[in-house]
Amino acid sequence: MLSVQGFQKILPYMSLFWQGMLCTLSLSAFTVIFGFILALLLSLMRMSRVKLLKAIATIYVEVIRATPMMVQLFLVYYVVMAPVSLPTWKLFGFIRFERFVPGVVALSLNSGAYLSEIIRSGIQSIDIGQTEAARSLGLTQGQNMRFIILPQAIKNILPAIANEFVTIIKESSICWTVGVQEIMSAVNSVKAATYTIAEALIVASCIYFCLTFPTSKIIQYFERRMRRGDVR
Amino acid sequence: METSGNLIQVKHLKKHYNQGTIHALDDVSVDVNKGDVIAVIGPSGSGKSTLLRSLNLLEKPDEGEIIFHGIDISKKTFINKAGKKEKVNINLHREKMGMVFQHFNLFPHKTILDNMTLAPIQVKHMPKAQAEEKARTLLSRVGLGDRAEAYPIQLSGGQKQRVAIVRALMMEPEVMLFDEPTSALDPEMVGEVLEVMKELAQGGMTMVVVTHEMGFAKEVGSRVLFMADGKLLEQGTPEDIFDHPQNPRLQDFLSKVL
Repeated sequence: MLSVQGFQKILPYMSLFWQGMLCTLSLSAFTVIFGFILALLLSLMRMSRVKLLKAIATIYVEVIRATPMMVQLFLVYYVVMAPVSLPTWKLFGFIRFERFVPGVVALSLNSGAYLSEIIRSGIQSIDIGQTEAARSLGLTQGQNMRFIILPQAIKNILPAIANEFVTIIKESSICWTVGVQEIMSAVNSVKAATYTIAEALIVASCIYFCLTFPTSKIIQYFERRMRRGDVR
Repeated sequence: METSGNLIQVKHLKKHYNQGTIHALDDVSVDVNKGDVIAVIGPSGSGKSTLLRSLNLLEKPDEGEIIFHGIDISKKTFINKAGKKEKVNINLHREKMGMVFQHFNLFPHKTILDNMTLAPIQVKHMPKAQAEEKARTLLSRVGLGDRAEAYPIQLSGGQKQRVAIVRALMMEPEVMLFDEPTSALDPEMVGEVLEVMKELAQGGMTMVVVTHEMGFAKEVGSRVLFMADGKLLEQGTPEDIFDHPQNPRLQDFLSKVL
């Protein structure tokens, strides 16, 4: 079980954890960016008047929500991206690009679906009068979205978005199954080298906590700041 | 086709709900001339608001024409002067029609100043400084010069509606549409909003006002329309309508509200 000796044994491998954390962070950061763009697109498609766009987006979201993350990851890595030969770059000198990219793609495809539902509900929660006022002033539908609807919608859904970001950081751990060197992969390497698992898992948990807790706190801060116009 | 003085011509406008069972608008025709102050009265559900909201296409009519600057804006395309088919850009026409809503519809995440300057800056590409100066001038004209930096939530209902009016004026519209502008206000705030509207009318602004304020319709209106069941049943000067009502529905309505 847990012992001081156990921690001493894994101490030389701390750089692995450090690398794992860097990898998890970059994985999550890219996923947040691409996932958000995809989500915006999907939510606009779902609210579109064009039936085909609406159907495509709806089916996509439902399929993603109804299948396990690991199946999606394996599909992307072994099937979709398999014929694509990615350059064998190394990010930060150690992250293997050809494994990292499918990880980002799978995570983005997944979180995009979930985020799009959050964004859609946020947009639809804004009173129709806001759109009518904006359009009556001559603003186009796009300008209405950009200046009136989205700023208010995003403020309303910030807690749900924060939740999704934290989920992304945690879910990214699944990427070690396709050889992305993130935190769980560090745990695995340490286990193989030292036969200690409990201590390695404790360290991994601490790192995840240190990533997710500040993330939600930072978003809470922005949420409070954006509430300026609401109560005084 | 375009006669001078005619700003908006509404011809045989129809709008149905529930597969045609409910007639929100039933063959309504009306001309809005420059400088007109038209008060639209009638019981609730009579189609007053639908008519007003059709004028700037917030409501899409099923049949009929809305001719503004010689163009039927209720259709997707029109034939331009060169004889070519061109798309109707509804945004261009909406710029020229200011609208004031029952529930103000100010943008809660923006200050009063930003509420007013957004459209001029984004739509008309007015320089920010110029837009802000114009906004401040308008705000002080309606007695709110010191509230430019406030957020809508900090204002009373009457103040919000005054801001909504000057926000629409920022675009220098040719006609102002009012959709029951005082119906959501506490009674003591109705006066301050009507006062602003009265000044606007005296300044020569063309206005279409859907209202339950009969006093305002009588005093300020140059023409009064009475609607019921989606039909325009009677129109005339305030004297015609209030002192010599012809239609029994109008007589009945007036007996209840006056």
